[in-house]
Amino acid sequence: MSSDLIYLDYAATTPLNEQVAERMRIVQGSAYFNPASNHAAGRLANAVVERAALQLGELLNVSPASFLWTSGATESNNLAITGAAKQRQHRGQHLVTMRTEHKAVVDVFRALERTGFEVTWLNPDSDGRLPIERFRNALRDDTQLASIMQVNNETGALQDIAAIGSVCRERDVLLHVDGAQAAGKIAVDLAALPVDLYSLTAHKFYGPKGIGALYVSKGVSIEPLMFGGGQQRRLRPGTLPVDLIAGLGEAAAVASGCVEEDLKRLSLLKEQLMSGLMDVAGLTINGPEEGGYPGILNVGIEDIEGESLLLALEPLCVATGSACNSQSQEPSYVLRSLGRSDRQAQSAIRFSFGRLTRSDEITAAIALYRAAVEKLRILAPEPAG
Amino acid sequence: MSADPYNSAVRDCFWGTLHSGEVAGGISAYFEDQGMRIRLSAGVADGTIAELRFLAWGCPHVIAATETFCRQFEGRPVAELGQFKTDQIMRNLAVPVEKTGRILVLEDTVRSLRAAISDRLAT
Repeated sequence: MSSDLIYLDYAATTPLNEQVAERMRIVQGSAYFNPASNHAAGRLANAVVERAALQLGELLNVSPASFLWTSGATESNNLAITGAAKQRQHRGQHLVTMRTEHKAVVDVFRALERTGFEVTWLNPDSDGRLPIERFRNALRDDTQLASIMQVNNETGALQDIAAIGSVCRERDVLLHVDGAQAAGKIAVDLAALPVDLYSLTAHKFYGPKGIGALYVSKGVSIEPLMFGGGQQRRLRPGTLPVDLIAGLGEAAAVASGCVEEDLKRLSLLKEQLMSGLMDVAGLTINGPEEGGYPGILNVGIEDIEGESLLLALEPLCVATGSACNSQSQEPSYVLRSLGRSDRQAQSAIRFSFGRLTRSDEITAAIALYRAAVEKLRILAPEPAG
Repeated sequence: MSADPYNSAVRDCFWGTLHSGEVAGGISAYFEDQGMRIRLSAGVADGTIAELRFLAWGCPHVIAATETFCRQFEGRPVAELGQFKTDQIMRNLAVPVEKTGRILVLEDTVRSLRAAISDRLAT
């Protein structure tokens, strides 16, 4: 990365941890074999996979046998939601999710709607949180599956998965949780949480890109999306990428030892960032002011044009409230669901930081943001009338 | 990797807004559309645009296009304003076609400025 850049986009991806990289290099050199092969080399590769499962199981406090390896959270979400909804069609055609879910969940539900499923789309409160009564009231006798993300990728809002899961258990509704922004970043105990399916991806917690996992609780059945081999109980066939899996496992092991420390550091950085920005006139926080994931702060400022703000912030690397589509410049549907106006959503900037973020980078980010807002305000003519 | 949406000309004009502000006592014109707002103000002497300043609220291409216009027309005869079209600026700044409407706000503002100058000179 260019030394000029200030990277505050950890919610998009995180740097590869050095210990993880080293583990992957070792595996690439010495255990590159096919773990499905029935010979000594294959068994060596299989042992690498089993070690990674053990490491991930320790991070999430569940059996290592409960994971399916996937290409990442998008695939995990697809497999969990589509696989479960189809498997449980006899139970009903009604599904529940939130409007603020990641596209990798939203678009799966939209696809299911096109095939005859009925979806209830829940809005959160203005701080991004879903009141448990709203969730409870959305469930019907024919509801078979709900999917709620644990940490929102745009706002950092944390959902009460324990309460949501308890309601699901009472009503015999399967619960899938998109944990892409949570696993390896906050303490997650899947043995204690009433969760049936849990999606995660390695690159959000300092592991490699291209590898994720789906936790499938004991007794839960899903249908496969792909066919063509006997790997992973035929639920997700294909030769396993041993080095990537080893990397995910090592990232999980590293996270197991430093989640609490990370959270403490991130809380201090978020506090520093908030106190440096809060007196900027017109600034609003998109998401919870307290109690959210401390690695994300999303702020909006109505009278500033978002695209110009992003350019004026260079060399700061942050995310905007616009969809990932420079042609549409659509305001974020997540922020719109929180009740923000198009203009508020369009001006939103998401700062997300992580294990390698330094306090002086936050100081620089504050200065850049304040200067950018001032520049664009000076440049703006008064609106007519 | 996502392509850089801004070429060097956009970056130069966005960061180097040499003509931002207003001409004190100058002739001004304002136009807003497509969520964009542009104000141009000009100081005119002997049929020439002696000074040209702008304020703009919009995306980087709109700001860069307005700065480019000011750079090009400051010191030029007022009459040349009538020939202004955004085509050349759009090419120089490699403005995406979907932003054409936004850049045309500049053309409308220039037209308003020209009319305002004509009105002032007639009185």
